[in-house]
Amino acid sequence: MNESQQKTSFYEMVKGVSMLGRSKGVKKADETAVSPVSREEQTVIGEHISIKGGIKGKEDLVINGSVNGTIKLGGCHLTVGPTGQVEGEIHADNVTISGRVSGNIKALDKVEITKEADFNGEVKAKRISVEDGAYLKAVIELEKDAEKKAVPADKLADQAAPGPGKEPLTLISETDKRK
Amino acid sequence: MASLADRVGEGRHLERDLADYTSNVLHLFVEALERRQEVQVLDVGPVCGENISFLAHRVRRLSVCDLFIRMDRDHRKGVPLSWTWQHLDYPPRSFDGILLWDLADHLDDCEVRRLVELCRTMVRPSGMVTVFVLGEHVLSHVVNSFVIGDGFRLHLRPQPHLDLSLHVRQNREVLSLLTPFTPVRSFIYRNGLREFLFQLD
Repeated sequence: MNESQQKTSFYEMVKGVSMLGRSKGVKKADETAVSPVSREEQTVIGEHISIKGGIKGKEDLVINGSVNGTIKLGGCHLTVGPTGQVEGEIHADNVTISGRVSGNIKALDKVEITKEADFNGEVKAKRISVEDGAYLKAVIELEKDAEKKAVPADKLADQAAPGPGKEPLTLISETDKRK
Repeated sequence: MASLADRVGEGRHLERDLADYTSNVLHLFVEALERRQEVQVLDVGPVCGENISFLAHRVRRLSVCDLFIRMDRDHRKGVPLSWTWQHLDYPPRSFDGILLWDLADHLDDCEVRRLVELCRTMVRPSGMVTVFVLGEHVLSHVVNSFVIGDGFRLHLRPQPHLDLSLHVRQNREVLSLLTPFTPVRSFIYRNGLREFLFQLD
């Protein structure tokens, strides 16, 4: 049995002994606040569960316990709840972090980091939102959409704001150019 | 240090005083970055979603290491400030630009020098560093994030969960502490706020 089979079988075993909660069509009020996608089916890893090994799946997953390993959720949403801890890589469509995560995240769409989060790692995604107060040490790479390139600073400034030294209301003086 | 309620109150006053303004230094900083390739920038916080979105769309890689919250937590744990600098464990010449915002206002001279020395090693040649300094008449114990809006407009958003000491400095003191860098431009605004843009030769 290779490593990935071992991890999968471990995961199946864990599911088999009902250590994971599974809900269908369940929508709690506090979940809707952090989730950009609707959840018809999701698995919940409870607060007192810890898993060592990778997780693969095709349904939404909420981690309130701890996971040490790679998580791959094709087309789904991973939520790391306030009590959740993940150490390892995360691949999913959407990721919401409210707990402690150490590792790299690759999301096809959006990563949300809430104020309760403690995140250390890299984020690659199309979009990201971060709440004030999050404990963050991250490298962020957003996918650049070819048709929606960022407006160059000079054009943006021409359209929306006066350039340096051209704002008579706020700028009093310009000083201290030593060299 | 001021209580949380005091800091929230001060934050409201400060917000009224400063409102929002167009940041010339931020404009110049972004313009300079857009002339470079594969740009990497470091933002030392406080963490702010708007700024992350703004910067991440304009650079190849945005590094965010919130030193404000780390200093606050380390202080509460009784950990010496020198420990905080271990979080800046980036390789030499990693960044084309570093946004220090008003971090220096919350450090004594000795720690500012340590920070500046770290920045000197982390910045690539001709890389930029921004430093903001609040004016004396708007100084308060509330820590603020400078939130980037459209057209390089900034407004200050109080972060009452952060409790950091405050150090008032004149322009010459700021320039003296940043001596490893060459000052490019600086601006003083009617609200008393000062912005400095430095470059590594």
